[in-house]
Amino acid sequence: MNSSQAKETLLLFRPGTADAADPQRVEALEFARRDPELGRWFEQHRAFQKAMRAKFQDIPVPAHLKSSLLIQGAAPPNLVAPRTWWRRRVWLVAVAAVLLLLGLAAVWLRPGVPDRFANYQARMVGEAQREYTMDLVTNDMRQVRQFMARHDAPADYYVPRGLERLQLTGGGRLTWRSNPVTMVCFDRGDKQMLFLFVMKRSAVKDPPPATPQLSKVSQMLTASWTRGDNTYVLAGPEEPHFVQKYL
Amino acid sequence: MAARSSYNEDQTRGELDFQGLVDLHYGPLYRFAMSLTRTESGACDLVQQTFLTWATKGHQLEDPSRVKSWLYTTLHRAFLESRRRFTRFPHLEITEATAELPSVEPDLVTRLDAREVLQLLGQVDEQFQAAVALFYLEDYSYNEIATILGVPLGTVKSRIARGLAQLKELVLRETSSRGKAQTGGA
Repeated sequence: MNSSQAKETLLLFRPGTADAADPQRVEALEFARRDPELGRWFEQHRAFQKAMRAKFQDIPVPAHLKSSLLIQGAAPPNLVAPRTWWRRRVWLVAVAAVLLLLGLAAVWLRPGVPDRFANYQARMVGEAQREYTMDLVTNDMRQVRQFMARHDAPADYYVPRGLERLQLTGGGRLTWRSNPVTMVCFDRGDKQMLFLFVMKRSAVKDPPPATPQLSKVSQMLTASWTRGDNTYVLAGPEEPHFVQKYL
Repeated sequence: MAARSSYNEDQTRGELDFQGLVDLHYGPLYRFAMSLTRTESGACDLVQQTFLTWATKGHQLEDPSRVKSWLYTTLHRAFLESRRRFTRFPHLEITEATAELPSVEPDLVTRLDAREVLQLLGQVDEQFQAAVALFYLEDYSYNEIATILGVPLGTVKSRIARGLAQLKELVLRETSSRGKAQTGGA
């Protein structure tokens, strides 16, 4: 073990816990005893940890919380044996109705039927605002492209120069009317995100022109354009010179 | 063959267990919830939801020694579900976090109160916050923290190491900006 390895091990050491019994930490502690510089660092770090730990323990707990919990738990629902849900006729009827609706929806929204670009754009902005899942968190664009290619989503997308300058944070595969959509996420640098959505242009009736069209959708600024076989939507917080900055 | 306890006995035991459980864990759970949400109402909601889940599903837990980590896991899941926007955080292996680690005099921490420390934790990368909070609040082993957060052991260590580095940096920045303000104001 060298000094740097010992420091790394001691970084996670919590005095007065089972951490002290870990053989690696015992070795690191021994190392710190022999190495004055590391020893000084460790003493300071240990005091910092102790002070921080005390601060966390000082977080005051509201006086009313315990009584609310006890009222809530006065009649724990687990004391009533639950009826198996599938034995309830009402559930069977509800499940059948949902299946029927899903079947109708599948016919109604069958893939390959183009729809309006505005619908797609609004839905993607909604994804960015409400809930999105990055399937892949990485700062490597190659990995995003490989992931999208493996999942039949557009992987040959163009990244404008303005976006290339930003920190890539990852990507996700979405769908719109059964069409795969590639979502690429960028960090603007102030904990604000920019989202680039890419989909085949054939998925919409009215793809946008090649020149980026700026519009505001649900409090987000979007730039939309078509290039090659793909249609693009860039969505982000409203700010001046959006197109000039990022495209 | 042991006689099966009656419904009433089960009920009494359940109520006692519930009260005992609340007595033991509501404070630490609240502090963990507060570390995640940093609002009193949000933290209370999470703790209530956790105990409600216990009341409905706790009987399924076969190993009583795992009650505490079950409660923490449930609270953390409830927190993740309560966030409408979420990301799948990367599973990183432990890295050279020590290189990013600033040296902080412990006296600086004593100048902050618990609320301010929580505010600083809120500025640490979101993916590191829960691991750092558990690190300071409980004596859990890293394996237990990994189970609660549902991530590999290496990721937990990496998150704590990086989270600590960021927290130290934030403490330094906060206390030095205060010092400047005081000097300027004098």
